[in-house]
Formats: sequence, C-alpha cells, structure tokens
Amino acid sequence: MDIFAQLVLGALNGLVWGFILALIALGLTLVFGLLEIINISHGELYMLGAVLGWYVLQFTGNFWVALILAPLAVGVLGLVIERGVLRPIEGKPIITIIATFGLSLIFQQAVLTGFGGAPQRIPAPFEWDLTILGFGYSGYRFFVALCSIVAISALWGFLRRFKYGMWMRAVRQDREMSLALGIPISRVYMLTFGLGSGLAALGGILAAPIVALEFRMGLDILPAVFIVVIIGGLGSLEGSLLAALLIGELEGLTSVFVTPTTARIFSLVFMSAVLLFRPEGLLGRRR
Amino acid sequence: MKRAGFPLAFAVVLLALIIAPHVLGTFQRVLLTEILIWGLFAMAFDLLYGYTGMLSFGQATFFGFGSYALTLAILRGQLGLWPALLLGLAVSAVVAGLVGFFAVRIRGHYFVIITVIFSLIFFFWALNWSWLTGGDDGLSFQVPAVPLGWWELSLYDPVTNYYFVLAFCALAFLFCRRLVRSPIGRILVGIRENEERARLVGYNVERFKLLIFVISGALSGLAGALYSLTFRYANAGLMHWTVSGDAVMWTLLGGAGSLVGPIVGTGLLVAFSDYVSSWFENYKIIIGALIILVVLAVPQGITGMIRDVWTAGRTSPNGS
Repeated sequence: MDIFAQLVLGALNGLVWGFILALIALGLTLVFGLLEIINISHGELYMLGAVLGWYVLQFTGNFWVALILAPLAVGVLGLVIERGVLRPIEGKPIITIIATFGLSLIFQQAVLTGFGGAPQRIPAPFEWDLTILGFGYSGYRFFVALCSIVAISALWGFLRRFKYGMWMRAVRQDREMSLALGIPISRVYMLTFGLGSGLAALGGILAAPIVALEFRMGLDILPAVFIVVIIGGLGSLEGSLLAALLIGELEGLTSVFVTPTTARIFSLVFMSAVLLFRPEGLLGRRR
Repeated sequence: MKRAGFPLAFAVVLLALIIAPHVLGTFQRVLLTEILIWGLFAMAFDLLYGYTGMLSFGQATFFGFGSYALTLAILRGQLGLWPALLLGLAVSAVVAGLVGFFAVRIRGHYFVIITVIFSLIFFFWALNWSWLTGGDDGLSFQVPAVPLGWWELSLYDPVTNYYFVLAFCALAFLFCRRLVRSPIGRILVGIRENEERARLVGYNVERFKLLIFVISGALSGLAGALYSLTFRYANAGLMHWTVSGDAVMWTLLGGAGSLVGPIVGTGLLVAFSDYVSSWFENYKIIIGALIILVVLAVPQGITGMIRDVWTAGRTSPNGS
C-alpha cells in the first residue's frame, strides 16, 4: 500500500474517530457549561452505552434497537445521578469531582461483575464496503460519521428551537436572571445531565462495532475527551466539536507512522501548546 | 492541655506501632507496612488538597518516579540503599517541579484535568519504554543491605523492614505537621480559602503552590521508594492516575486537611479492601459507594466528624 493511500485511510479513520469523540466531548462540555461539573465518570457512561448495547443486541439481535435503547437508558441513568448524587452537593465543585470518581468506580466494577473482564465484540450491523483508491473501506464507519452529524445537528436544533434547549442556553448565560424569569433551573440541570450522559452513550454504541468492549474502555477514552474539551475550551460546544475533529485527524494521521500511544503523546503536546498560547482554549470564553 | 496533648498522643500511637509487629501475625504485619506506605502517600496528597485546595490526580506519577528511581538505581546503577533512596526522593522532587511549573498556573477545573493528563503522559511513557521500566510486568530486584553505622540491617527481615518504613513515616509526619503549623502552612490555607485575597495581600501564590507541589511530590516519591523496597518490585501500573484516585478516597474518608485523617482513612480502607477482597472480588464497587456516601453525609471525613463531636461536646453546655 503506498503512502498516499495510507494517509487517506488514516485521515478517514481520524475523521470517523473525531466524530465519535465529538459526541462524547459535547456531552461533557454541555454538562460543564451549565452545572460546572467535571464528570470523571463520563468515560464510564460511554462504556455503559456500548455494554448496554451489547446486552440489547444479545436479547433482540437487532443493532438498531440497541442504537436507540442504550443512549436512552443511560440518559435516564444520568437523570437519576443528577437528582440523587450531584444535587445534594451542588455548588461544591471539588467534592463533586470526587463523587463522580466514586461513580466511575461503581460503574466499572458493576460491569466487571456482570459483563466479565474479557473483551467482547459487536459485529457491524451491515457489511458494505466502499472502494477508495483501490482499497476496501468499511461503510459502517461512514454511517458512524453520518449518525454523529445528524445527532450533533439535532442537538444544535434542540438548543435553538425547543423550550428546554433555549432554557439551557439561558441558564448558561445568566443563572440568576433565568431563575427570576421562572425557569425551573433544577429541572434544566437534571435534563442537561441526562442529555450529556445520553450523548456519551450514543458515542459508545456507535463505536461498539469498531472497538473492543470491556469495562476499562471508559478509562481509555477519558484522556482523549479531556484533551478535546481543554483544547476546545471548557464549556464551548463549537470548540469541542472543532477540537474533536482536529484531535481525531491528528491521531488518525500520526497513527500511520507511529504507534497509537505515541500518537496520543502528539495530541498531548498539541494540547500543551494550545494551553500555552490560548489558556481558555480555541473557542473558549476569555475569563 | 492542647500543647501537652499532641506529644502524648504521638508517643502512644508510635509505641503501639512499635509493639504491633510483635503482636500481629506475618500477614497483618505486611498489611500494616503497606498501610504505613500508602498512608504516607495520602498524607502527601493531603498537603496539596487538604491544606492548599489543589485536587491533583497526578500524585501517582511522583510515587512511580520514586519507585522507579530507586529500583533502577539498585538494579542498573548498582548503588547502595541510601544513595538509591535519596535518588528516589530527588528524582520525584525534580519531576514534581517540572510538572508543577505548568500546573500551578492553572486553576480550578482545569488543574484537575491537567493533572490527570500529565500523569497519563508519564504512564504511557513508562508503559512504552518497557526496556527501561519493564512496562506492565515491572521490574523486580534484590534489596542491598542497609549500612547503619557499624550495623548492617537486612530489609529481607519483615520486622526490620516494618521498622524502616515506620521510621520514615513518623519523620515525614512530624515534618508535615511542622510545615502546616509554620507561617508557610498558614499561607497555604489562606490560598485555599481565598486565592485572590492571598494575592492581594502580596503573597506570590504561584510560588507557594509550586513549593507545596514539590514537597508533596517528593514525599509521594519517598512513599514510592519505600513501596519498592518493601515489595522489591516496581511497575508502570503504579503511575496510573487511578492510583492517585485511591489517595483522594483515603484522604476524603479520613478527613482532609488534618494529616492524621488521611492515614486513618488509608488504614481503614486498605484493611477493609483486604478483608472484603478475600470473599468478594469486585470489592471496589463497595468502595465507590462508600465514597459517595461519605461525600453526601460526612464531607468532613471521619476525623472531622470526631473533631466536630468533640468541640460540640465541650462548648454546648453553657454555650461557651
């Protein structure tokens, strides 16, 4: 395979991975923008999306059902977490981070107990290969990118056209004023956390046919997501989207030449450079 | 009363710990050694989090550097025990200085994320350079004898090893206590309570944060070196950020900002994990639940709770 074709494939892989990262990072940054919570268990919600998808697939044999049900279930779980664990300690950011660390332990160990430690695979829901420069490329990966684009557009539409979406933006801009105008802030918080959780799980089930499913997969993805939200600017949705695609491409292209671990070090170097010159991130609000 | 209280309490606890290995069986003795080492690690974390308000998930990096510096000095450098131990302390302090130079400029949520990411860089690095670090399998080595004046101690004797660890932990504890009660310690608490005000009063906040970051890193490195001496072993897994997460949980359970609390928390959780893991493999699920319970119900931790009850009992009768 000549180097050009390798680069093209690397770029495509990077693009697809970037869109998966974008879904997860949008969930994290959406929650941060409103609740000012760094959710350490966000990677576990991604993992739960994939694992629950695997279970649904075992019972129904239908990937499309899993694609709908897994994010919904994790979204509901997110509502419960916000109401039960996070709300009582609202306004204590450091304590909240530690609580989400506890949650991440619980989810990992629960999956280890129920699902087992051995990695599992989900077959792609359809076998359809594209031919690019004479090489076959999995059509499912294109479907992943497409799905992600649809979901992200839907999120943007929701935030602009729907009542709760606009409330979310309002609370984000000015909490006091929103309260004064009668916006049910607690409910908006809860819904935001649920939505963020659902987005992570959607990333999980979409990635499931591409990666190996195991209880540690959340720990593996969390650093990448952290890098993305830092580069994009914590709380900035547009920034996270941009940074996810950048990091996806960076890791996709460098993976052609070096091992994935070294590629990860490249994105860390990139992040350090961004932090040095724009501490608030590419599109973050200057504080 | 308060002045005489501490030396007395310290002497009693130390005496109990000195007698302990002769009362306990071999198994509990090893467990107690482990608790002392991890307790030291948690105490180093407490300097950073409990006193200065910096939640770092990166302390395992320095633990790992201390552990590897000692291991490699003995294994590759053929160094004696004291130089190797000193090297472990120095290397972790230098690395903490480098990381801290960037990290202390970053605040709040960003700081937490940066420490996770920095510690992952080093973890991946240690995993990748397996020719040096042994990667996931780790390195094991022979512990040289400890020259001590005319004596030579052998750390292969578990009781000697225990006393060796205990001596360092006791010294480190006294050092930390002196530190947090010094003017520097008060400034650190000032930074924790209100960083802007500390800056306005004229303190160079970044310099103090860097200082405590390096001290905490060096003590974590000491804990790492003691760990490697005790188990004659080092591996890349020790550098993972979830190891730092353990220190966070121990400290929180015991009570942050008290030095004693983290050690108590470590003792309880390590002993509990050890007990439960014999019949329930995935015991960490209980620890996760416990940590959420602590966060929701007793955020001041166990020692904080005892202190609250103590002060309430002394002041409530006449409201004085």
